[in-house]
Amino acid sequence: MKKKTVGKTRHVVAWMNKAEYEHVQEYLFSKEPALQKHALQRISAWKARFGQSTPVAVDSTADLVRCQVLDSAGQLETNDLVMLYGMALVRFVNLITERQQKSVARPLRRLAGKINIPEWVVNLRHDLTHRRLPSLKWCRKGCGFVLDWLHQQYWSRQMGSQLTEDWNSSSEEEDEEEFAKRHEEELLRRQKEIEAHKKVRELLISYEREQFQTYEELAKQGGQRGVWPDASADLSWILTQITLFTTEARDILVDVLMQDGFLIPTAEQLESLDIDPSEDSVDMFAPCLPRVFLHFWLPCLKALNTPIFINLILDKLFAELSNEPSRHRTYYITSWISEILLCNSKSELKAHKRLKLSKERIFMNRIQFPWQNLISTCVNAPCPATPFLLRQILSDMDKPLPHDAQQNLLRLCSIYTQGYHEYSSPGASDPAQPVYTLQNLQDRLKSNTSQNRDSHSSNHAPRPMQAPPTEDLQEKLSAETTQERNFALRGSAWSVCTDKVPWKQYPLGKVPGQPEDPSCLMVECYSTFTVFDQQVELDQLPQHHGNRSVPLQSRASGADGPLWTHSDLSKLKAGLQLF
Amino acid sequence: MTMKVHKVSSQSQHEQRHATKRHGKNKWRKKTHSLDSTLLNTSTGTAKLEKPIPKREKTTLKRLKKLYTKPIPENCCAEQRKVKAHVHTNGGTELNGSSSLVDSQEWSEYANSVLRNGMESSTSPKTDQMEEDGLQFHAQFDKTRNNAVLVMKQGQVLCFRGKCLLTCLYGHVEVLGFTIEEGQQPYPLFSPPSHCPLTITALGNNPPSSKNKKEGLLEAKAVVHKYFSSEPSKKLMSELDSDSCVVLLEPLNTPLTRVLTSFSELSEIFGLNSKELKSQAAVYNPVLSAVGVTALRGPCAQGLVMSRSYREAISRLLSAWAGEFDRCPIILVCGGKSSGKSTFNRHLINSLLNHTAGVEYLECDLGQTEFTPPGCLSLSTVTEPLLGPPFTHLRDPEHMVYYGQADCQADIDRYLESLKSLWRHVNGESPVIINTMGWIRGHGFQILVDLIRLFSVTHVVQLSYGNAPQCQHLTPDFLRTAHGWQTHPLTPPTLTEEPVSHLSTRSHVLLSVQSEFEGAGTSGVMQHQRSNELRDLALLSYFSKLQSPEPGPVLPLHCFTPYQVPLSAVAIGVTHCEVAPTNILYVANASVVGLCCLSEKVVGREGPVVLSQTPICQCVGLGVLRGVDMARGLYFLVSPVSPSVLRHVNCLLLGEITLPKILLTKQDGIEGDLPYVTTDYSFEVQGAGKLHIYKGLTRPGFIKSNN
Repeated sequence: MKKKTVGKTRHVVAWMNKAEYEHVQEYLFSKEPALQKHALQRISAWKARFGQSTPVAVDSTADLVRCQVLDSAGQLETNDLVMLYGMALVRFVNLITERQQKSVARPLRRLAGKINIPEWVVNLRHDLTHRRLPSLKWCRKGCGFVLDWLHQQYWSRQMGSQLTEDWNSSSEEEDEEEFAKRHEEELLRRQKEIEAHKKVRELLISYEREQFQTYEELAKQGGQRGVWPDASADLSWILTQITLFTTEARDILVDVLMQDGFLIPTAEQLESLDIDPSEDSVDMFAPCLPRVFLHFWLPCLKALNTPIFINLILDKLFAELSNEPSRHRTYYITSWISEILLCNSKSELKAHKRLKLSKERIFMNRIQFPWQNLISTCVNAPCPATPFLLRQILSDMDKPLPHDAQQNLLRLCSIYTQGYHEYSSPGASDPAQPVYTLQNLQDRLKSNTSQNRDSHSSNHAPRPMQAPPTEDLQEKLSAETTQERNFALRGSAWSVCTDKVPWKQYPLGKVPGQPEDPSCLMVECYSTFTVFDQQVELDQLPQHHGNRSVPLQSRASGADGPLWTHSDLSKLKAGLQLF
Repeated sequence: MTMKVHKVSSQSQHEQRHATKRHGKNKWRKKTHSLDSTLLNTSTGTAKLEKPIPKREKTTLKRLKKLYTKPIPENCCAEQRKVKAHVHTNGGTELNGSSSLVDSQEWSEYANSVLRNGMESSTSPKTDQMEEDGLQFHAQFDKTRNNAVLVMKQGQVLCFRGKCLLTCLYGHVEVLGFTIEEGQQPYPLFSPPSHCPLTITALGNNPPSSKNKKEGLLEAKAVVHKYFSSEPSKKLMSELDSDSCVVLLEPLNTPLTRVLTSFSELSEIFGLNSKELKSQAAVYNPVLSAVGVTALRGPCAQGLVMSRSYREAISRLLSAWAGEFDRCPIILVCGGKSSGKSTFNRHLINSLLNHTAGVEYLECDLGQTEFTPPGCLSLSTVTEPLLGPPFTHLRDPEHMVYYGQADCQADIDRYLESLKSLWRHVNGESPVIINTMGWIRGHGFQILVDLIRLFSVTHVVQLSYGNAPQCQHLTPDFLRTAHGWQTHPLTPPTLTEEPVSHLSTRSHVLLSVQSEFEGAGTSGVMQHQRSNELRDLALLSYFSKLQSPEPGPVLPLHCFTPYQVPLSAVAIGVTHCEVAPTNILYVANASVVGLCCLSEKVVGREGPVVLSQTPICQCVGLGVLRGVDMARGLYFLVSPVSPSVLRHVNCLLLGEITLPKILLTKQDGIEGDLPYVTTDYSFEVQGAGKLHIYKGLTRPGFIKSNN
């Protein structure tokens, strides 16, 4: 359970920024009652913001500083002060050790010792609660010590300040609830994924079963060259089920497709489709999918055909290829890549070819591939068929590279892959080499094709097809709406803010022109308002409380104690040597 | 227990009621007010009772079947439908005198059936085979219309997670006590993993069907055909018979669902909970998942567990409304934390809505509010069934008071005074349901005693769980001597023999309900079940009303154009603690504020107008004080409250109800630091955590003695 929350977890605190925190800290420990009082007032606001999650240290510090302020005012008698100090000290010792408690109560002395609170402070608490009240001297001494402790242990370590040596043994977890929550979320997500994975597999297997059946019937009727029938009811049922995954669990679907036995057929699967599974019969340099096998998967891929999906699958195929798979896998992966590229080929648009092949194509309309990226991913996943694929890509690009660049690229590529091919063990190749070459190429490509912006070098991460839509988050109120709202508000103090403010740039709690100064929200002048009649609407209401003061008393600053203006404060800050 | 359910109110009486209804309302109100003024001085020790409701003015309703068949527009998206004025079919107002008789008989049958149904289902042995059959959901998805038609056999139950919009096309189905018939408006259903899953139960066709079986079947088939753009599958059609139910399920996409799912932490808010995932309770059905519904099976698919006492209580309360009682029922529901109050309330409201146009609901639970954001006390008139957890059906109540905290311990008097001020608006023409806090010990129990006395409660539903009761039973006898926080027994218990007649008119009926669902009494620990998470969800739901109803990107809170108001024109106050007035804006900035209306005019001279005490006043909603312009002296406020209401707001109350953290930490599009958000706060430092209360701290001595 001891999970360190050092990461970038965002916490909500009561101070607007670090400056405000430091400002309060400075004043709290200034030993100057006026400044301390100022800090206490701010903490009263913090406590209102924090509600029940006020940090124990902040609460205790405020209580103890309040005692010092009242003590220095010199208006209270000794006995009054002992009571005040006493409460603050008892609360401090109890609250600060509370976190150390486990299910069985343990002596405070031991708990306090662990966090470097000396025994005499614990004894002081003991005297206060169970024995004769200690003297004011002891109370002052205790308060002074504890404030020092809090200053060192909490205030100067918090908010990214010097967290140097770590002599406190146990840490306070942010919240067991929070932690448990996060843990559960993670668990839930994983379970969900496993579930989806299983489901996709089941679905695809039932698809295969259905297709094998169709194939067998076809073979019975008249050889494998016959025309595959349109999808049967059962098949289209399965297909709709599969398509449901394309939105929610697209990645999972593609992952499963890449596994052996799906897009990469097993030997048995090939045999049952009457395809020779032996590796000798295939041309590793110019892979081509067996037509029967293509037909086998065609209904499924057609159903899944969306640009996003095709791009994702292409990405995934290249990613798999770069993992240096077995010859068999390599062949089928490259075959599929080639097949997809072929479908997108410009030359395929010629009428006669389309007629002939329309039945065999996964998709009909040309898709925009991220060409530059495609080249780099292709070259990053070298295999015997790379030159073959590269040629396909180069010839299909919307803005083809200059001819000599194409030639150079192909030449380099075939040099590399042939070498690669000659080495018997694929693992022996130096992974640094292709990257090196590619970068050279990329530099070159960049200089040649200035219209293309940067091409990412991150190879396999699936990237979005288009840049995310640059949606404008700012709420756009039409002139009519604003007018309508202002009309509804007419006669009241309210109105719609019509300043031309890009609100989307201002987080909650910030307005245009707001200074960074931690004193910027201080009120110099305010009025108090006492409610006469507690009820609205109903006039014949009984009065519950007899005493009602005058509703409005405008107070000048200073009536309620020393209130500092902005300029006063900055003068004070500049002039005072606090430590 | 005996039940007199066949009481039939005479026709003439009904007619008379209708004739006087319109005028009666106003007269009645006046009466209430004058009563109030005499009764509200309850601060003294003597027992005073809030106004007794003199005579019931009941709206009788009829379960209209064909009269209503309002054709549902065929290709109409969910959004549009929501905007339309909802005509509540069950609670229609076009009544004629002749129907009343049929009506009262009908609900009595219903009241009985509540008992019967439950008993049957609990006794009938279920074989695996049956269960398997029950889990076969015959549904077909129509791609072009993006909806699914589901055919259910009579008695079939679909227990599910997710959300959808349900329209009954043929027959009638029941969801959480509410019956949905063909021809009624579509109802949104929400079944998130935080609560007990919803069930759709097919009740078949109306029993007194004049048609023969064949006609029924033909009709059902015609209905199914109408809802498909292409030919429906043979399989679906073959499942159909005259007492099947046909429902149309559509995906539900509202500003609320868009806002919630836009947070990665809440992406599974309409998915399964971890327990259901672990036990693999999901029934895989692609048609249902296409509309956002996951059917459950096994032990997780129990749905609402109704004990015998639970069903009896519901049925008794339904009869009470029907006329067994001579007053309009005022029902107080109480019980410890997680004893099922809220679900019971929803079930009860839905059941009552089958027979009445509206139910009045007084919210006394500050933490888990049904219709409002947390921290608010409110009085609502409920006319729509509640087919989901609270955060899915937030609506503006008729009257609301902002208390500002999630529990009332800090200021019990203000709590009770606020409730009294709300009680004045109860109109007494519909049944009243009073929801209470889970705090039933000590002062919490005293408050319950107060509420029963103050509001002349007629029925107390006391939920408990386990073997030992959580608190004393609130019997009429006990109430005679019990002391509340504000109220006290009429006469000291030492005095003997009171006028019996006087007491009997005041006494209530106690209905004890034993909750038997799994986990009763233990607060949820799974995701989205903790009370603070539910409060955050309610607030997120509330502020989702700011989003445009048209589908589009979800705007973060800071992107909305705010309203502005001068600091001196509105009073501001903190409800839950003392704050130095000079620092008041440090509390207000980027905080949730209750938007309240004081009857007095607020005019300050310069700077903010700080309240010296917390007033009890009408609250019209919440807002976020997104910033303060110190130079010009303006508050900037973002709120979904409409401008025509906002104009009356002259008081902003700050409470302990804080903005969900996620709204502060996730503010998209901001460069630089976010105010009040830090990554530097270290919980490793001593004293960095909040006050921690160990409830189960045992003393070493105790262990020894126990061993």
